[in-house]
Amino acid sequence: MSDALLRIENLRVTFHHGGRTAVAVHGASLDVNAGEVVGLVGESGSGKSLTCRSVIRMLPAEGAMSANRIVFDGQDVLAMDRRALRAHRARSVGMIFQDPYSCLDPTKRVGEQIAETLRVNARMDHAAAKSQALALLEDVGITSPDRRYLSYPHELSGGMRQRVMIAIAVACKPKLLIADEATTALDVTTQAQILSLIQRLRRESGMAVLMVSHDFGVIAQVCDRVAVMYGGYVVEFGPVQDICTRPQHPYTRALLDSIPSLESAGRRVRRAGIPGQPPSLGEVTSGCPFVERCAYATDPCRTMEMVMLEAGPGHTSACPVTVGTRS
Amino acid sequence: MVAPRRARRRLRRFGNWELTLGLTILGLMIVSGLLAPWISPYPPNQIDILHSLQAPSFTHIMGTDFVGRDVFSRVLYGLRIDIFVVAVITYAGLVIGVVVGTVAGYFGGWLDAIIGRVADTVVSFPFIVLVLAVVAIVGPGLKGVAIGIVFVGWALYSRLSRSEMLAMREQPFMLATRALGYSNARAIFRHALPNLIRSSLVYSTVDVVVNMLVLAGMSYLGLGQQAPGADLGSIIASGQSYLLTAWWITTIPGAVLVLFGIGVSMIGDGITQGDLSMATM
Repeated sequence: MSDALLRIENLRVTFHHGGRTAVAVHGASLDVNAGEVVGLVGESGSGKSLTCRSVIRMLPAEGAMSANRIVFDGQDVLAMDRRALRAHRARSVGMIFQDPYSCLDPTKRVGEQIAETLRVNARMDHAAAKSQALALLEDVGITSPDRRYLSYPHELSGGMRQRVMIAIAVACKPKLLIADEATTALDVTTQAQILSLIQRLRRESGMAVLMVSHDFGVIAQVCDRVAVMYGGYVVEFGPVQDICTRPQHPYTRALLDSIPSLESAGRRVRRAGIPGQPPSLGEVTSGCPFVERCAYATDPCRTMEMVMLEAGPGHTSACPVTVGTRS
Repeated sequence: MVAPRRARRRLRRFGNWELTLGLTILGLMIVSGLLAPWISPYPPNQIDILHSLQAPSFTHIMGTDFVGRDVFSRVLYGLRIDIFVVAVITYAGLVIGVVVGTVAGYFGGWLDAIIGRVADTVVSFPFIVLVLAVVAIVGPGLKGVAIGIVFVGWALYSRLSRSEMLAMREQPFMLATRALGYSNARAIFRHALPNLIRSSLVYSTVDVVVNMLVLAGMSYLGLGQQAPGADLGSIIASGQSYLLTAWWITTIPGAVLVLFGIGVSMIGDGITQGDLSMATM
């Protein structure tokens, strides 16, 4: 698996504020192969977005990151200088953000924003950039691109803006597309359209996708593999089919149990929620972050080291109890 | 939601009357200033002792001053130079302030601290005192006053733009410029600036009036336009000793100055109103 497109090993993100240090990501490891769709699920504050942003080393101002390795396409992301980093951001990785309503510059026509990316990052001249931008608008399923090219962001619906964002993100044919909660702000119908658009673009261009969501349904629908994050750790990572049918980590099990299924529709079934609250930033210093809410927790869980254990072919989990290495 | 709708209806019925009236007043003043050499009935410095201190009449519609110069012609030339100087200094201050403030807000850190402290220092002095100090260094004349006003004027635009930039820096579309690997210069000047300059432009309509008054005040004190050149402040000063016998020399240029202020303020109000109706549409 050394030929992975993206490999993150033991990523740690900390925030320093007023002399106190909060750890947001404790030790996340992840890899994405070329052309693959990898999902990243977890609740708010579990470190999903920070993990994504670390791929292009773009953390909030107070954040600091370290990792054993972050390798993208053979290049060491951590060792990149400013120029290399800009080129990395510009051409290798495309990113879509959660909020389509504020991701576009409100004072520029959307077509020009796409063309700008092509001019700046792909060194196209004005005419080529414009025709390519029109083609991209068409490609992401916007009808009458000629007219929409001249629209301002506020004239478009959320779904259309998200399509424009995608067009900008894929304009320079990145090897990896990071979709950070790309469909969360959209209604379900639009969400399905955007998901199938991303899948189609992936099929056509062969780029890999790292898809962040807190919605297991979305992940199960489009991903090849999925990483489950909790409290700043990747607690389980493996093929999506495998994880859905035989989840290993207690958190993943609880998460899947809390999704309503069609069989239970109409019946008065109370979904099993997860008791308690997720740990707040910096609260957990050692042991498993899920210990307070876990049905399987034992005393050693409070102090154990979080190590990914083999739970099946290509399937790893951080819980020694359920994997069976500790009873 | 009742008030904006009513405002909008009123807007539709009357148009944006404040904006229209303000633009008309200011437009007339600019045009007459520009055309001063062609429309003024007398050369501004032509002395005619025999007809000094004449009340407004058909030959001298704003009367004459103590050496018989035509006040109307002098007001036209005064407007010409004043509007030109005020426009240059206000927008020079705006450009400097917006660029400096935006850069400070974008990068933060020590750069922001230095620029912020300099701006604070400038703002903490009384405006006129600081302008006076600059005039003392550069020397009396419009040039000294202009430099002085720009020296002070940039600071408020810098503060305004900086605070707007701080809020905008965390906007997703600014994050997107970084995620796309755009240069800082592109992010600042192509994406942040067009979004935050509006507040500075609105503020500049207030600033224009203030600068006009300071400019006239400096000339009135004899530190701005030097004799025999005409500008509103120096004309007002020249008529001061004759206020009881020849009120027109001081009063009419004063009224012109007030009218200028009203006109510009109306434009400012009009723009804000237009903004409101657009936002609620």
